[in-house]
Amino acid sequence: MIKIIFIVLISEIFTSAGHIFFKKSTNELEVKSVRGINGHVSFMKDILGKRDIWIGLLFMGMGLMVWLGALNEGDLSLVFPIGSIQYVITLFAAKLFLGEKIDKMKAIGTLFVVLGIILISMT
Amino acid sequence: MKKNGLTLKIFGLLVLNDVGDSIAQLLMKKGLVQTGVASIDFGNIVEFTLKNASSPLLWAGILICLLNFFLWISILYRIELSVAMPVGSTAYIFTPLLAMFFLREHISLIRWAGIIFIILGIHFVSQSTKSEPEAAGS
Repeated sequence: MIKIIFIVLISEIFTSAGHIFFKKSTNELEVKSVRGINGHVSFMKDILGKRDIWIGLLFMGMGLMVWLGALNEGDLSLVFPIGSIQYVITLFAAKLFLGEKIDKMKAIGTLFVVLGIILISMT
Repeated sequence: MKKNGLTLKIFGLLVLNDVGDSIAQLLMKKGLVQTGVASIDFGNIVEFTLKNASSPLLWAGILICLLNFFLWISILYRIELSVAMPVGSTAYIFTPLLAMFFLREHISLIRWAGIIFIILGIHFVSQSTKSEPEAAGS
């Protein structure tokens, strides 16, 4: 069980790093409406033109590879919910790297996620 | 940033995103089970990688993950994360259900209870961003 949690943790640290870079790149995006095929194509062009989205994708790819290692170690219905530890990591990463605040609701929510993971780890 | 509320179309996209995620996880797990490397350690990590690199089910799962990623970005562009997140958390129900039916996994009551705690937690986290939309990072 410790091994599964450890591998999931490494995977989700990479994934959270990916999310941080995605958020950074979408923060830079110019706002316009995405409509029709042309709108989607131009949206994709815009977003793929950002350097941070590629760094984010790289981190996501590494996270996915480590994730496969975790999936190999246990039941899908065990490993997948443990992956929600990502919410905890991203909370702190967003505070550290994006300056987002942790308010009471986020703290309570994160506590529930942790409790859920502890319950699942007991089975 | 001005964003839409949760329309039926966006709700449909969110469900599609969740079902896609769950199916991707199922395919990847099925691929890994088929390849059948018992447990990874530093000794067999290369073997694990090489053997799984030729698993079609695994690649199908990864492909769906990638498509799903673009779908998710496009959803986030239309609606607030605080709205998308709770609906998006239904993958935590879909995935164990798929594991039950297609992988014959036994899910105990305690495991379901843990899953419900996680979904509640995600709901609370998402409620927080509602009060301060786009407050940080912009």
